Amino acid sequence: MSGGDAAESPVLDVRGLGRRFGGLRALADVSFTVPRGRTLGIIGPNGAGKSTFINLVTGHLRPTSGRVFIDGRDMTGARPWSVARAGVARTFQIVKPFRGMTVRENVAIGLLYGPAGTGVMSHALSAADEVLEQVGLGPLGDRAPGELTVADARRLELAKALALRPRLLLLDEVMAGLQNRAIEPSLAVIRSLKEQGMTIVAVEHVMKAILAISDEVLVLHQGRVLTSGTPETVLADPEVIEAYLGHRYAKRQREVSPDA
Amino acid sequence: MGASSADVGTAAGVETPTARPPAEARWRRLLPWAAGVLVLLACFGLQTQLYTGQERTVTTIFMFVALAQAWNIIGGFTGYASFGQVVFFGLGGYTTATLMYHLQVNFWLALVVSGLVAAAFGALIGLPLLRLKGHYFAIATLGVAEGMREVVTNLPDITGGGAGITIPTVGAKASTPYLGNDGFYVLFLVLAALAVLVGGLVSRSKFGFALRAINQDEDAAGSMGINTTRAKVTAFALSGFLVGLVGASYAFQQVTIFPERLFDVDITVLMVVMVVIGGSGTVLGPLLGAVALQYLSEYLRQHYTEMHTFILGAIIIVAVILLPQGVVNYAREAARTRQFSLLRNVRRYRL
Repeated sequence: MSGGDAAESPVLDVRGLGRRFGGLRALADVSFTVPRGRTLGIIGPNGAGKSTFINLVTGHLRPTSGRVFIDGRDMTGARPWSVARAGVARTFQIVKPFRGMTVRENVAIGLLYGPAGTGVMSHALSAADEVLEQVGLGPLGDRAPGELTVADARRLELAKALALRPRLLLLDEVMAGLQNRAIEPSLAVIRSLKEQGMTIVAVEHVMKAILAISDEVLVLHQGRVLTSGTPETVLADPEVIEAYLGHRYAKRQREVSPDA
Repeated sequence: MGASSADVGTAAGVETPTARPPAEARWRRLLPWAAGVLVLLACFGLQTQLYTGQERTVTTIFMFVALAQAWNIIGGFTGYASFGQVVFFGLGGYTTATLMYHLQVNFWLALVVSGLVAAAFGALIGLPLLRLKGHYFAIATLGVAEGMREVVTNLPDITGGGAGITIPTVGAKASTPYLGNDGFYVLFLVLAALAVLVGGLVSRSKFGFALRAINQDEDAAGSMGINTTRAKVTAFALSGFLVGLVGASYAFQQVTIFPERLFDVDITVLMVVMVVIGGSGTVLGPLLGAVALQYLSEYLRQHYTEMHTFILGAIIIVAVILLPQGVVNYAREAARTRQFSLLRNVRRYRL
């Protein structure tokens, strides 16, 4: 992203980030910054390197080249728990609830082990209730995660991330598999996070969601940055639409008004 | 359920009322501890009612309660099925035997040293081995135990080798007088109680939550701020510490020990079977599993002298098919969902 103030280091700053899997180049030479309080949407077709990018930032994968700075601190190749304690939270594309624990206990883990980690179980559990309230899972704290609907399981994934009280939130397709009706409440949660000044990087396939929350959109293609800019300019870019989102999307865009 | 999301916008600082009345919650939390103390006292009372043969049998039950409880920490809570846990048993036993034989160290000191040696060894091999998962971890730990038996066998100057080593219990070289049947009953009872206590504390602690999270998904646990490497190695070392204590006590009880017996893979298998049948990842499960299986084994041995292993094996197979998640986990789920059918249980776990 452009125009970071010199006074404050950006929350996320990646420089020349790349990752190879043997002969396959999953990501190459990705550089951008995300200033505090901004939301960056990342789009791109399957295999573009979106999830790889998130895994490189969170330490679930080690980059083969480039550097990652969180709040000006070099966190390249740090282990996932170090990154989490540095204030970075993420959701997983395939939800990863901890089975055998209640929904409340799932969220409490982040409060026990996160950056502001408490050692007192009762504090963590009551704070977990607040986080559940925030994402609209308030009444379901005693449920087993396996009993949740797809939409609620996605919200639990978000609640677990928020339990870390992060400064940077990485969302890996939190809207995937949701019906239109279920998307709106999740968007409301993300909007309220934005209002509170959260810095967000959202990987998403649901264009409606990307348009609604992103200050800027970055397009990945075959592991490289194709283009970036405001959502409107990027999505209007004929190269992006043709090469990438395909004819069908272009046609649908003409039919549906993009005011969502 | 679903969209109760009208008020999602309201930000931080919302005081949520606690769901349960605190007094009742406190009682429910104290109940297991109270029950544990009662059982412990009952075991002391039981001792006065037993004759020698029975006392030895119950002592063995206590030993397996401690072992199963220890295995549960790494295999149950953390989900790393160690098939070489007997390595800590043998290491503890041989540490005590060599210390008492060569250096005339007091048994109680040797006991503590044995636990620490086992824990240190657990941390040492845990660092590389806990990077493996599932079957690979099981095979690697099995290999460590088998290898350690060969090492002990091939150091006859220190360990007595295959001919065994005898702890001096009488005369000038005896550093600690033999404890006798009554003494070992109490010693193994205390070890069992210690292991159950550790299991209970781990289960409710922050550390226990980390282990359960690792069991479910290590990547997710890491991104929640849990140092997964440290938690796993600590769990392995803690489990090893407890098993080491038991091995040390067993060596003193047996007086003469051999590598074949102290590194016997059967001991590991028994720990695993007891935990799995009782209920992996619970505190009560390993306790019940160890008592039930060891009692059953003894009963069958006395009443069906020739067929007892065969019958025991058949019972274990049936138990694992009907209750793949273990007795305690089955009971909890059944109580919650009000579905007690074993057939349904088998279907649910797709066996």
